[in-house]
Amino acid sequence: MATDEVRWVAEARRGDRNAFRHLVEAYSRALFALCMRITRDSTMAEDAVQEAFFNAYRHLGDFDGRSSFKTWLHRIAVNAALEQLRRNGKHGVTLSDTGTDDDGEDFLASRPDDAPTPDRHALGGEIGRQIQDQLARMTTLERTAFVMRHHEGQSLETIAETLSLNISASKQAIFRAVRKLRGVLEPLR
Amino acid sequence: MNTISDNDLILYFYRDGLDAERIREIDDALFASPDLRARYTRLQQMLHAVDAEPAPEPDAGFSDRVWQRLGGRIAALQPADAPAGWRARLFGTLHSLLVPRAALAAACMLLLAIGVGFYAGRSTAPQPDEIAQTRANAMATRVLDAYVAEHLRATEGLLLTAVNSDDSGLVGNRDLAASLVDSNRLYAQAATRSGNARLADFLRQLEPVLLELANQSPDTSVQSIDGLRDYLKKTDLLFQVRATQARIDATGKHST
Repeated sequence: MATDEVRWVAEARRGDRNAFRHLVEAYSRALFALCMRITRDSTMAEDAVQEAFFNAYRHLGDFDGRSSFKTWLHRIAVNAALEQLRRNGKHGVTLSDTGTDDDGEDFLASRPDDAPTPDRHALGGEIGRQIQDQLARMTTLERTAFVMRHHEGQSLETIAETLSLNISASKQAIFRAVRKLRGVLEPLR
Repeated sequence: MNTISDNDLILYFYRDGLDAERIREIDDALFASPDLRARYTRLQQMLHAVDAEPAPEPDAGFSDRVWQRLGGRIAALQPADAPAGWRARLFGTLHSLLVPRAALAAACMLLLAIGVGFYAGRSTAPQPDEIAQTRANAMATRVLDAYVAEHLRATEGLLLTAVNSDDSGLVGNRDLAASLVDSNRLYAQAATRSGNARLADFLRQLEPVLLELANQSPDTSVQSIDGLRDYLKKTDLLFQVRATQARIDATGKHST
């Protein structure tokens, strides 16, 4: 797969559309998941994937191989998803939102006997609902930083670079996002 | 006194943003403190619960749909926008000087061929070679369809770029739009001559939009650009381009 990918990228850089089609087929579903997590809207996610591949094709000549093709493509997709949110303006949230959801206050403290029992773990549906609710409460910046760190496994440096932030601001966005997930703990108590 | 905050635990969970010494301190503290272990366990439970949520999945035809839209846009790219090194860019620059003219020349030749073919068909009395003439007309129609399908793919790419790109992208495509205006007129005439009034009407509907895109300039007001985008979004022009393209493709498949 990795060898194929290197070949497809090289051929696509020379303008081979069929090679680029292989890359689209290999990555479109993963990009959809990423864009869906950021936009929380399937139409916007699909448009973002479309734009991400289009921009990737246009700028393949700039791909220098320092990061993997996947990382490079996913960074383009993050920005395409943010652009869709900005254009649609439905969410009324911008990257400059800072949020002040109990910044700095510890929330994980609990008594040892608060440990969840197996029957509480069975409340999967409730937990899932809580996760969706809390993700919806996050600002675009918080959710994007969280998705990149948690789901995509991107480093703080990459997140900062992609979102045009400094490392400290990236950390703070992730801290706030994780704090907002605290509701997920309630069904576990 | 516990000096390890929840934020430290979050960074520890991801093993990111902490130096090796701090990670060692947290390791030791977790080993020594049941309270800290309980806090960290709660964080792990919470984040693992997020992992347990299924990843968003697109429908089965998603990849094909993405490529279908993307293929037209890529085909419509100016050579300068294509992925390339300096040699290919140089070649692309030379190519860009030739291709719009070549497309226009092809459209002119096609128009001439169809005109001659239909004129010959009308002026010739029914003869044994009538069948050959009918075949020639059918061939001319298929050739026209193939050219128009390619023209519509390029037009679809242009319209998609107009709807989705920033203002500089819109202005950057005006040469392509100008070349499409010329060939669009010729294909509309060819369609009229070949008796395909429906296609001819549709191509004429496209012309004002192509003209508008060909006339974009860096000085064009934001309101004007937004107005054009709104028009494209509110009308079903893009859908009609795709539908016409699909109809022509289907006709081509059935006739071969």
